[in-house]
Amino acid sequence: MTHPSLSTRDLTIRFGGHTAVNAVTCDFRPGELTVIVGPNGAGKTTYFNMISGQLTPSEGTVMKDGVDLTRMPASARARHGVGRAFQLTNLFPRLSVLENIRLAVQAQAGEGKRFFTPVAKLTELGSRAERYLAATKLEDKADLPAAALPHGDQRKLEVALLMAMEPDIYMFDEPTAGMSLDHAPDVLDLIAEIKHDTSKTVLLVEHKMDVVRQLADRIIVLHNGELIADGDPGEVMSSQVVRDVYLGNAGEMA
Amino acid sequence: MKGNTTVKLIAFAIWALLLFAPFFFQEVRQVEVAARIAVFIVLVASYDLLIGYTGIVSFAHTMFFGFGAYGVAIAMKQLDNTWGYWIVGALAGVLVAIVIAILIGLLSLRVKAIFFAMITLATATVALVLASQLSTFTGGEDGITYSVPDVFKPATKLLTDDEGKVLKIAGVRMNGKIAAYYFVFASCALMFWVLLRIVGSPLGTVLKAIRENEARAEGIGYRVVAYRTAVFVIAAIAAALAGAIYATWLKYTGPETTLSFAIMIDILLMVVIGGMGTIWGAVIGATLMVLAQYYLRDLMEVAADATASIPLLPELLSPDRWLLWLGIIFILLVYFFPAGIAGTIIQRRAAK
Repeated sequence: MTHPSLSTRDLTIRFGGHTAVNAVTCDFRPGELTVIVGPNGAGKTTYFNMISGQLTPSEGTVMKDGVDLTRMPASARARHGVGRAFQLTNLFPRLSVLENIRLAVQAQAGEGKRFFTPVAKLTELGSRAERYLAATKLEDKADLPAAALPHGDQRKLEVALLMAMEPDIYMFDEPTAGMSLDHAPDVLDLIAEIKHDTSKTVLLVEHKMDVVRQLADRIIVLHNGELIADGDPGEVMSSQVVRDVYLGNAGEMA
Repeated sequence: MKGNTTVKLIAFAIWALLLFAPFFFQEVRQVEVAARIAVFIVLVASYDLLIGYTGIVSFAHTMFFGFGAYGVAIAMKQLDNTWGYWIVGALAGVLVAIVIAILIGLLSLRVKAIFFAMITLATATVALVLASQLSTFTGGEDGITYSVPDVFKPATKLLTDDEGKVLKIAGVRMNGKIAAYYFVFASCALMFWVLLRIVGSPLGTVLKAIRENEARAEGIGYRVVAYRTAVFVIAAIAAALAGAIYATWLKYTGPETTLSFAIMIDILLMVVIGGMGTIWGAVIGATLMVLAQYYLRDLMEVAADATASIPLLPELLSPDRWLLWLGIIFILLVYFFPAGIAGTIIQRRAAK
């Protein structure tokens, strides 16, 4: 088995007296797509937030390729190759689609500090942005403000931003939430494509079981902030614990 | 025509008028107005970098303006009116502006916008009080009157004719006053161009991203606090340089001309009138506001005289009530141009 690219050790966060995520220890490896499932309020998004830096854990560590990310701000984690797309669309609403993507490209290239070169002169950044625009089939909407896109396209732009960051770790939080049936396959194809690159680690929070079945190499289950199952998709989905959680009578086992 | 082009054309026309102002408008007061417009374009454009592009609300912009002005004023008064000391004074002003901006930035840009605004307000108040208290240095409330480098003295002959008298071109005497005006014009035009470059650069896009969605900007890898501090410092430098230039033009520096909150309000109004987040709008906003401040009274006097025979109307139009009318004009502008003049033109054309 390859060396893990991302690991969390005893990752815990408390809000007041409530423990939202409790001592989650898990390794993620390149070339592997892990789907994180669990009922609402299980702590999936909170767990994501501690990995990508929106929240700082109360206890435990987040390591990426031997670097301790636990106390780093989100921007530093992004520069260390942890990329995250959000559940609720989280774009730059009044900037154009192309500008949105270019911002991510520019951050990845470390060019944000250039203050005197016109953007148009940085053609290398421009063509990279165009590439992600094309990959997500948003070319004909390049000049529209992000807020003017239909929901499905906003989700695609969200993915385009993540791809443009060219991270090692891709984190998707319900990428197809609220998407119409004809848009969802576009996004899923993009994720499948990323998954083909064996140097990339993909983490995916998802509810829709057909999506899980289609993409997952591995499933982990969170329930009440704890990791209760981890393994091969078929095995996990058929296990008694998971059935109990999803049937709602898991009170005693947690 | 795209809205952006319309706005740029208007702004270029204003710059062109400023370029030839001493030839078009030969009255002393008119040239005074032209110089003030040029300086305020830089002040407003640099303030827009904060409030319009990055979404930072600061009330300390006149403080930075004052640092530059007092730097030059004190150097000219206490040392000597040479270019060497001019540079020393201006650099000292800019340096103080940089240090204070970094301190405010690092200490408080992490906090919520409202707290940041309060901290800038407090700092600017301290600066204003210090300027009036340290009167041996700053001249207190009276301010400082001083001489500027010799080339700007009205008696200086830039060009002479065959008889050794000051040469006139198109009826304008090529003396130190012309030199001073073109010094103001060229420095302000240069600074405006630099600010344009910043807005159009990758950094400019990052600033807009921070305004739009700070958390996501951080999420894709931009250290937001560092960027906000950087833009705060850039704006402070621009304001301080504008202050140094204005001090050279006025040959007088006092709380009323540089530090007062009345000027801060003027800058805010100019940004809003021009259009927040459209740097070209700064040109339009500054021009309209300065023109109104100088000429609305005259215009009302004419109107009051013209309506002298009608009851009530001359009373309403009396020049004493110019501030009331300025207020009404401002309300109308905000009503009809909710995104500022430049901002609204761009939006309307884009919507077509």
